Amino acid sequence: MKQRRLVHSPEHVLIELVPAGLGRRFAAFLLDSAIIVGATGLISTASAILPEAVRAMFVATAGFLVLWGYHTWFEVRWNGQSPGKRILRIRVVDGRGLPVDVAQSLVRNVVRLLDILPLGGVGMLSALLDSQHRRLGDRASDTLVVSDEQLAVPRVEALGARRFNSLRTPRVLRLVDHRLGIEERELLFALCLRAPHLSERARYELFEEVGEHYRVRLGVEDPHLSGENLVRGIASLCAGAEEST
Amino acid sequence: MTDLERFIAERGPRWKRLGALLDEVQDAPESQLGRARLQELVLLYRSACADLNQARALTANPQLLENVNQLVGRGYRFLYRGRASSRLDWKGFFLRDVPATFRREERWVRVAAAALLLGAAVGFGAVMVNPAQAEALLPPQFVAGRPSDRVAQIESGKERIDSLSKATEFGSYLYTHNLRVSFLTFAAGALTFAGGLLLLFYNGVLLGVVSAQYILDGAGTFFVAWVGPHGALELPSIVFAGAAGLLAGRALLMPGERGRPAALRESFPAVFRMLSACAVLLVCAGLIEGSFSQMSARSVPYPVKIAVACGLFAAMCGWLFAGRAERAR
Repeated sequence: MKQRRLVHSPEHVLIELVPAGLGRRFAAFLLDSAIIVGATGLISTASAILPEAVRAMFVATAGFLVLWGYHTWFEVRWNGQSPGKRILRIRVVDGRGLPVDVAQSLVRNVVRLLDILPLGGVGMLSALLDSQHRRLGDRASDTLVVSDEQLAVPRVEALGARRFNSLRTPRVLRLVDHRLGIEERELLFALCLRAPHLSERARYELFEEVGEHYRVRLGVEDPHLSGENLVRGIASLCAGAEEST
Repeated sequence: MTDLERFIAERGPRWKRLGALLDEVQDAPESQLGRARLQELVLLYRSACADLNQARALTANPQLLENVNQLVGRGYRFLYRGRASSRLDWKGFFLRDVPATFRREERWVRVAAAALLLGAAVGFGAVMVNPAQAEALLPPQFVAGRPSDRVAQIESGKERIDSLSKATEFGSYLYTHNLRVSFLTFAAGALTFAGGLLLLFYNGVLLGVVSAQYILDGAGTFFVAWVGPHGALELPSIVFAGAAGLLAGRALLMPGERGRPAALRESFPAVFRMLSACAVLLVCAGLIEGSFSQMSARSVPYPVKIAVACGLFAAMCGWLFAGRAERAR
């Protein structure tokens, strides 16, 4: 179970750092590795224009710098992100939720040498066993890889944009006002907002189950109204939206 | 409308604006944002902080809370980050900061050097007592016939490194390899402390065994002249990487009352400086090993090579450990 880290900001606000999932971290690592391999190949090809005396030295040194400097350079320049991490929307931050500095990033990435042994097993095991999914490099540098998904601001009024709402009767409106507490209203909104991310089966079953609760609670006696239509209809009433035409 | 809907309707545009400003500063320097927009960003961040506290009291809606939390987190990361990195003062870094760090952390260098020297003494003693033990102590790739045969081969045949391209190729291979070894020593020390000491000890054993083999075979002077010029920088570099690992390892495993995060953060600048010095020394050592160290006595007499080795070691010690008066300040 992932455990969020809490950071106290100077404004006395608790900020929650959400550890990134291991799948996304691994995918970002693969992407970054592919870029490193590509860059090394490019260096090797480009070195053909150099004099023979320094060609092998250039390839070895530049390859080494790319291999060891890639992550640190990007993590410091791009505020905790490498190209792979940016695509996968994850970010390295230090334990206080601030950007990593060059020394921290260097330590984190040098310890990767042990994390990738054997075939990444040590790092993977360490991340699996840690509640905040930290690999050994993260522990040694007090860093954390967090999810950087920027969610859209929820638009509750959009939920109410329903063309027809058979529930909009004085009786149901009165019952919604009198019987539904804030948590029950929240549940409706949360379910509507999450619906597009659910599988069809889960969506149907969840809406039917939740719908049944509200059906009983508000005494709705329309057997042909599906769970989802019922939930969305009540959410629309809660959001106070007018019926659109 | 309930309080929550009103809350979202009122604050939503401000959150959106804050998100847009944070997107702008993510890649561009803040100077491009201009003073007015920077002030606007600070104001919006403070108001988002208040909104987050208010939203937590008002609702349990995970999406809303997550959204405002992310926004405040991004703002916090931007506003409270360290000083924007200006151009690094390389001269000051290598001539003032690095030596000061080495003088301050000298005890870790001594501990690491003691581990290496102890290993060297054990390896040397074991082979001097019973030369047959050398094969058991050395990895297979290190066992390469009698030292005197190797000396005869190097001193009688043509120079192994007879062109600049060979020297640079071999040198770059050596320093990249040695840097990896140093990083491994650092990582082992940083994570387990004892692991770093063990690796230093093991490297010392290898050095002690090989040196004993050459001395027993009557090629002691050749060995010192061969290993000396690059070893004068390479061996201390491994020690410095090990010392940096011990410093980080102590902060991780024995942080004391400061707490682990504070102890780690305190150790990072010193670790960075020690590893930087280590990298510079290893590049120099690799280039020397790839060229000068490989030259036979016909090109460079042994005393000259040994003198160069002593000079390099003295110069390195002068760079990193001289100026003790400064430490007292």
